[in-house]
Amino acid sequence: MQLWQVHGAMDVRWMLRDIRTLLTFVIADSLSSIASASAIFLLAERFGAIGRWRADQIVFMLAYAMVVSGLPYLFFNYNVSYISRRVGRGQWDHTLIQPNPIWMSLLTEGFSPFSAIMAVLPGLALLAWAIPRAAPPLTLGWLALLLLNLSASVIIALAFSFLWGSLAFWAPRAAEELNLSTWKLLDQLKQFPLDGLGALLTGGLLTIVPSGFLAWYPCRTLLNIDTRPAGPMVTPLAAGVTALLATWVFRRGMKQYGRTGSQRYLSFGHRR
Amino acid sequence: MRSPILVTSHYVRTAAMATTSVVGDSPLFLVDYLLRFARVAVLLSLWRIILADKGPVSGMTLSAVLTYTLISEIFAEQLACRANMEMTLWEGTIAVRSLQPMSLVGQLAAEMAGRWLLGLILVSAPLLLSAGLWGVDARPATAAAGALFVLSMALSISVGLALEMLFGALVVALQESIWLVQQLRNAITTVLSGALLPLALLPWGLGGVFAWLPFASQASAPLRIYTNTGDAAQLLAIQAGWSLLLWPMAHWFWQANREKLTAYGG
Repeated sequence: MQLWQVHGAMDVRWMLRDIRTLLTFVIADSLSSIASASAIFLLAERFGAIGRWRADQIVFMLAYAMVVSGLPYLFFNYNVSYISRRVGRGQWDHTLIQPNPIWMSLLTEGFSPFSAIMAVLPGLALLAWAIPRAAPPLTLGWLALLLLNLSASVIIALAFSFLWGSLAFWAPRAAEELNLSTWKLLDQLKQFPLDGLGALLTGGLLTIVPSGFLAWYPCRTLLNIDTRPAGPMVTPLAAGVTALLATWVFRRGMKQYGRTGSQRYLSFGHRR
Repeated sequence: MRSPILVTSHYVRTAAMATTSVVGDSPLFLVDYLLRFARVAVLLSLWRIILADKGPVSGMTLSAVLTYTLISEIFAEQLACRANMEMTLWEGTIAVRSLQPMSLVGQLAAEMAGRWLLGLILVSAPLLLSAGLWGVDARPATAAAGALFVLSMALSISVGLALEMLFGALVVALQESIWLVQQLRNAITTVLSGALLPLALLPWGLGGVFAWLPFASQASAPLRIYTNTGDAAQLLAIQAGWSLLLWPMAHWFWQANREKLTAYGG
């Protein structure tokens, strides 16, 4: 909590240094967040439904996707969620020399509650609008399931990022920008309802590239489109499995890093 | 005066270097290309769900929409027309480029064409050849549509390059982070260009308004000509008009702001 306070204060000070830059960031983040969901939203408005999804359910799914996209910016900014950059650029030592456990550093160094708030706020506002219209009758249990699934979706996205980003321990130069591609993969596919895709492709989008778990699958279960009783627990289960796998691979990468270190770090800011 | 052959060979070699640099940089570049296959699969499936059992919607049949979507992905890089002007500014290589005996626009265009080559080989050609497997007729609606598509693509690239220079000059003019301008541009063009969704299928008559904007000239116009779902003469005229308007604007804007540029090596 203290570290979050410190990083939050630094975030505020950085923002207030230049109001013009602040406004530009706020507008760009909001536009980016809204634009990512606008295509499917406009389709839903035009046609009233997409397959089994009503327009308001589509809006719920898009809002969910926007929140899942925005939360990593809020809590894991400054390349924590783009771990391949930190490792590939030789900046991982900055984290290792901190007097904190690595997990604590990763959990706090990226905390940007003010500069990244506009990446989350549009999604939250849309979610608040969509819940009364699309969701089953509101109960504490359902809200708890929503929070659980939201957290699970974020964990899956981060775990996928760390899983692939760990390659930077073995190939720092080649894999430095790999997380840019992995986040693009997740972001561009998460907004689509995947019903009717066929078992192979759907399976691939729930395993190899788990963008299906970032909005489509958890929303199906939360909105009772998929009425299987254990449905709402599948995404949290997937989050556990992905997190374990990512942790194992990352630890292997750390061992490799312990043997080789990084040749890319340059003290005057850039890298080899 | 330099021989045209010599000048052309400069640009060809620049394009060739750009092609090999993508492959040489990292073997993981293939990840970006995988995304394109996944995206087209999802979009084709989506359209089949939405337009199933519906007749033509705003003049577009399911078959036309599927062709539109596939061709949009086959020529995705050409329709987006990104010359990486912002990266040139961010890396500071603009300073080095300004010293080369080639125009800045020429250099960027040549490198862009070089990067396209790889995408055309690895993604566009396989998608086109496998169109039947996707259940899509990839042929132009008519032979005339196919011929006009080539002209329209040339105009689309012209408009795209002009916009690229404009946005690059905007980065310099605003003295802001390139990522912000990039984000703004991506946000605007996602819907306005018609590359992802045909503008005719947007609600509230938005498509009719967006069709007049320069972004629609980048993607929507050539795709509508290809699928014969728009008035080719009108679309070509709009594209030509934007091309004639945007290039002088881009030139003036760049001239007006380039003195603000400071590069720390690169």
